[in-house]
Amino acid sequence: MASVASLPRARRRPRLRAADVPFIAFVLAVAGLIAFGAAVSPHDAVALDPLHALQPPSLAFPFGTDEFGRDVFSRVLSGARPTLLLALAAAAMGVMLGAVTGLVSGYLSGATDEVTMRAMDALMSFPGLVLAMLVVVMLGPGPINIIGAIALVFWPRSARLVRSMVVDLARREFVDAARSRGESPHFIIFRELLPNVLALVIVDFSLRVTAAILLAASLAYLGVGVAPPTPAWGLMVKDGQPLIEIAPWLVLFPCAAIACVSIGAVLVGERLRRVFALPGAEAGR
Amino acid sequence: MTALVFICRRLALLLLVLALVSILTFAIVNVLPGDVATAVLGDTSTPDQVQSVRIAMGLDQPLLVRYLHWIEGVLRGDFGASLQYGRPIGPMLLGRLENSAILGLITLAIGAPLAVGFGLVAALRPGGWLDRVISGFSVGTHALPEYVIGLVAILAFSIWWPLLPGSSLMDPSENPLHRPEALVLPVGVLVLGMLAVIGQLTRASAIGVLASAYIRTAVLKGVPYWRVVLRHALPNLLPPAIAEIGMYFGYVIGGLVVVETLFSYAGVGQMMTNAVAYRDVPTIQAAVLVVAAAYGVGNLLADVVALLTNPRLRT
Repeated sequence: MASVASLPRARRRPRLRAADVPFIAFVLAVAGLIAFGAAVSPHDAVALDPLHALQPPSLAFPFGTDEFGRDVFSRVLSGARPTLLLALAAAAMGVMLGAVTGLVSGYLSGATDEVTMRAMDALMSFPGLVLAMLVVVMLGPGPINIIGAIALVFWPRSARLVRSMVVDLARREFVDAARSRGESPHFIIFRELLPNVLALVIVDFSLRVTAAILLAASLAYLGVGVAPPTPAWGLMVKDGQPLIEIAPWLVLFPCAAIACVSIGAVLVGERLRRVFALPGAEAGR
Repeated sequence: MTALVFICRRLALLLLVLALVSILTFAIVNVLPGDVATAVLGDTSTPDQVQSVRIAMGLDQPLLVRYLHWIEGVLRGDFGASLQYGRPIGPMLLGRLENSAILGLITLAIGAPLAVGFGLVAALRPGGWLDRVISGFSVGTHALPEYVIGLVAILAFSIWWPLLPGSSLMDPSENPLHRPEALVLPVGVLVLGMLAVIGQLTRASAIGVLASAYIRTAVLKGVPYWRVVLRHALPNLLPPAIAEIGMYFGYVIGGLVVVETLFSYAGVGQMMTNAVAYRDVPTIQAAVLVVAAAYGVGNLLADVVALLTNPRLRT
């Protein structure tokens, strides 16, 4: 954990350097893919076209077609939204829940803290993927349930991270000062403590995004949560696997899409961590 | 003595965690808005069907009674009957647990020393070409889901260059050790994931240890460098590495679920995904409980081994 002395000041703005350009370009490209991927895809991602079934990659179908004649390239483009938006929302929700829990629990300390943290420990005693699977199976399929399940996996991990920093901060003079001038706990938590943990929360979020992409893709691959015609990348891999010997392009291109986005997300996270000069948060799997 | 007290305290904590895990598993299955009977029947069921399944499964009884009934059965090794096969879950679970344990233990036996070794080598010259190759490789394997690595491995080693079986499909009662070639790809995929995580953590702590004063003393008094690394640095690296391996046990187990499904390997993870596909709720509940218990026991074992290997506590 970063010692309090080495914390960046809350108001300092990180300078933009030439080395940051590829990272920003990557983030913009992914955002563009989520926003316009379905709109710019050359063919319909779900329409059946038996005449062109199982065609290898060609000019008309750059990534080939699947057993129903659907264009894999279009499916990969349209699949960005169901794959990535879900992961982003889940990471945001988990980190936000964790940040609030960590802030409140760390500041109040005592019995509240003890009970909250033991509850978080109980949630952490499940392997992440297994917990998410169980929750989605019981709640039923659907994007909201998947987001909730992945957020539930991240919640205790983010809460612990934020709490460990808040416990340090809460003993410092500026908190004492605020308390003695009669500020409410609400003010101290959100106006005094929150700005100081914001950098940590942002970096935590960026690392969770990768973990969320992996979790969401693994859930889809295991057949949990995403219903078939949706071109989610993990589901495409699952459906393509039985045909891997005759049509390897069915799994190769969605796999490559997952690989590009998640490796890119890791590199962006590492970069952010360096910009904010923070130690790494553990990955949440 | 302190070690014994520590182990006893961890054991008590483990029992507490197991109790919590069973309550939480039961709660997720039974208290969340999704109803078990509806989950079993699917969305198209009529209220009458739902009601009859509810009575057949004993869902009309109060929650506490059902929990106590379930947990009492579990303690006797009776996990109820599978909805998919109509047979008791306990014996099926046992055979598959053994298969999963074989896969997991082989992975640990190969992956743990390899990961610590890679981390140590990378730390010898931080920023050197070897470090950059190993670290870059780690980012890659850590960021990829197991099935992406696994499918590429299947394409490469069993389809384009038919060297190994691309599937470990087998009868659940068969001993996987009788067909070692079917274990190579699943173990390889799991080891790759482990290399990334444990290797990077070992690298970070090794850089710290190698920069410390006692290492410099050893170098300056003329001990050969390989000996300094192996005899002076390594023993201090092992306890944190082993504790980390325990912490990432959950990651290995999560990986097992995916890898077993990918290679049709008859373990607990594949049992779970099968049960999910058939909405076999009692089996899911049993498998999740067993997996979470294995996770807790693994964490405990890692803590104990880390304690016993810690040179500072040697007497």
